[in-house]
Amino acid sequence: MDLQLDRICHAYGDTEVLRDISLEIPQGRIICLVGPSGCGKSTLLRMIGGLERPSAGRVLQVGEPPKDSLNPLTYVFQDFALLPWRSVRGNISLVLEDHGIKGAAADQIIEDVLARTKLSDFAKALPKQLSGGMKQRVAIARALAVNPSVMLMDEPLSALDSQTRELLMDDLVALWTRQPFTAVYVTHNLAEAVRLGHAIVVLSRRPGEIREVVEIDKPLAERGYGDRDLEEVQKHLWTLMRDEARAADEELLDV
Amino acid sequence: MSEQMKPQSGIEVRFRGGGFAPKSRRWVGPLVFVVLIALMEWGTRSGWISALTLPRPSDVLATFQDLWSTGMLFKHLAPSLTRLAVGAAIGASVGVSVGILIGLSSYIRAGLVPLVAAIFPIPKIALLPLFVIWFGIDEGSKYALIAFGTFTPTVVATYGAVDNVDRSLIRMGQSFGLSWQSIVRKIVLPGAMPGILSGLRISLAIAIILLVAAEMLGAEYGIGAYILEAGSLYDLERLFAGVVILSLLGVVVSTVIGWIERRLLGWRI
Amino acid sequence: MTKFNRRQTLGLFGGLAGAAAASSLAAPAIAMNKKITVGALRFTSHSGSFIAQERNYFAEAGLDVELKFFQAAQPMAVAIASGDVDYAVTAISGGLISLADKGAIKVIGGALSEEPGIDGQKILASDAAYQAGLTSPAALGGKTFGMSTAGSSFHYMGSKVAAAEGVEMSFKPLQKVGAIIGALKSGQIDAWSIVPHIAKPLAGSGAVHIIGNVSDYLPHYQVTTVFTSAKNAADERGQTADFLAGFGKGVSDYNSTMIDRAGGDAGVDEMVDLIHKYVYTDRPREKAAPSIINGTMRLNEGSKLNVASVADQLNWFQSEGLVKDSITLETLVDTSYVDTFEA
Repeated sequence: MDLQLDRICHAYGDTEVLRDISLEIPQGRIICLVGPSGCGKSTLLRMIGGLERPSAGRVLQVGEPPKDSLNPLTYVFQDFALLPWRSVRGNISLVLEDHGIKGAAADQIIEDVLARTKLSDFAKALPKQLSGGMKQRVAIARALAVNPSVMLMDEPLSALDSQTRELLMDDLVALWTRQPFTAVYVTHNLAEAVRLGHAIVVLSRRPGEIREVVEIDKPLAERGYGDRDLEEVQKHLWTLMRDEARAADEELLDV
Repeated sequence: MSEQMKPQSGIEVRFRGGGFAPKSRRWVGPLVFVVLIALMEWGTRSGWISALTLPRPSDVLATFQDLWSTGMLFKHLAPSLTRLAVGAAIGASVGVSVGILIGLSSYIRAGLVPLVAAIFPIPKIALLPLFVIWFGIDEGSKYALIAFGTFTPTVVATYGAVDNVDRSLIRMGQSFGLSWQSIVRKIVLPGAMPGILSGLRISLAIAIILLVAAEMLGAEYGIGAYILEAGSLYDLERLFAGVVILSLLGVVVSTVIGWIERRLLGWRI
Repeated sequence: MTKFNRRQTLGLFGGLAGAAAASSLAAPAIAMNKKITVGALRFTSHSGSFIAQERNYFAEAGLDVELKFFQAAQPMAVAIASGDVDYAVTAISGGLISLADKGAIKVIGGALSEEPGIDGQKILASDAAYQAGLTSPAALGGKTFGMSTAGSSFHYMGSKVAAAEGVEMSFKPLQKVGAIIGALKSGQIDAWSIVPHIAKPLAGSGAVHIIGNVSDYLPHYQVTTVFTSAKNAADERGQTADFLAGFGKGVSDYNSTMIDRAGGDAGVDEMVDLIHKYVYTDRPREKAAPSIINGTMRLNEGSKLNVASVADQLNWFQSEGLVKDSITLETLVDTSYVDTFEA
């Protein structure tokens, strides 16, 4: 299943946030959305998943989602959004219960996603016992449990320290390599974008418009920390964004 | 740095970070009680506290023993505890339900919040005669009074707690396509539980206060009736014995809620 | 040890101020002009105090009386114990006896007693209970009887009636007379006893029925008594005797005008005018007058006290476990001020 954004515009009252965004999200690829603070990239992500309605334009699903997908458009949030009163297992079973998956069937899915996210030993732990990186792995396991056709990731690594971030990026690459998934990945961190994105969409400052779409052909598995060619792309992205980011920063200071 | 540190003559930096840190001083609380009671005992024995001012603590204890040995303690406690349990259970469960509805629906909020605000300050005791007409002079009016008194603080605490439930968790539930029912039962209710329980602490203390008021009309037995009778007889020993029972009841209720909190809210950091 | 309470301290200052005033103004030629406070309820049975005040009998006895009004007898007894009120009239209750036991108050005379042949307190039944057969006190077995609190005069009367009839009743405490009336009218309780000026209008409305007289069971029941603080009774003998003298004149006037009709209808009218200043003040005179006249009961001439009735009440409170067994009649009553009788 592909996704298509068709001339999306959005405004909060008089403030125009997004202007004329059209984009293809083809199956099996990770699309990164980058842009300065307040450019509306998170808003755009909420629209793609149907949590918010654009003022104009449409989000289209092209083709049927796979039959076994319980929740085709599934989010991974920056703050993890785990229920603190449920164990790791309970947090995952939460999203299965409503689909009538219980008992052995649920156990099988939970064991599978916990194994894929290397959490099998922590099934009974409560969120308060986990580190930030592990919490986000639980959130990713939960997202995988509903077998999404598109993962919508809202700055999933931003709340983590830089070492944890590197480790989790490796985990995400490994996951994708084993079984490619489609993802829209919002971030303000260009290093994450060049490591994980098949295509990187650069948005301008408010109102957000697409400035450029940068494609990176190097396979995800071959990319590494501090690769020369990736640094070049990252530099290019930064030149695109620098002035916008400064202007956006000063704009916020004016408020 | 490779050079060796030479001890120098200088003024040591003064420590100024002391105080203001709460420390556990378990013995102080009981000590205050013991000193006050000893003072009362000594004062009433030596005569500078007249029999009209305060009862002698040892006499209160004797009254307590009488209550125990004659079995009257349970004759008074049983109906009071029943009234407390039934009244508070009705008030708290209806209060929690209404509070959740207010927290979830803006229509119900707009309709009921002003009503609750209007009911809250009414002294429920003033409505007792009305309740007698509505619910009868026997147990009905007593249940109603206690239920009514616990209802309003529970509603206010509950909808406040629902408002404080992390919105990102609700959004998460929606993003996974959970049904409205599931979101309320599995996300909103447990998320509001800390606020609901701390509200219950207050509501149940109010229920104990209202117990005395509820037993003003038509109660032959009950701790409240016992206290009122002692008051009208100006029998200070019985009055104090009754008040001590109410205090103990308050301590027990608070302990039980603390226990429930530890059981249910172990997930909190 | 010398103890000053608030009243005495105020009295001291009042005395100084009074002396200062006397030097500049021509004060009335009253020997002592002693300031005291008398507690009262707005009932016709308290008319002795109202008349003595209005007709200057207190002033003639050398007392400057301030009347202080209460809603119920219980706080009045506490006010005497605390020294805020010097003299008052009220029914004997468990609370009063307990306060006497604590050395706070003394009964010094009688105010109102039942007398055979004179209209006294009535026994009432709710309409529902009456229709179901509660037409005489003999049928009170198993019924509920209203009272303000345990140890009140209602509790005593109900118990005595039940004992005389050999039946058992349960008593419902309802705190206030208004609540009892409401409960009786709506049939929440079955029976009650009350003074005639409340009983008769209630029965007239048809919501309740009079089924007997208290005096049939307690023929010389000492309903209310005059009481004061133990300190006044022991240390202020002159002042206490002066108060009883002034109060006694008021009582005499009341009995002769309202019961013996010494002044004819004109006398009654004048007396009703006087009492109406204090009782049923929220009603116009023409509506208040029948209630005041209906409520007429003979007050104890010379504050005579039926010690036999008081002793019987004390015994009953003790037998019910409401007050301590160790309390003697001497602790409760100071008989040195008025004539006593036993009936």
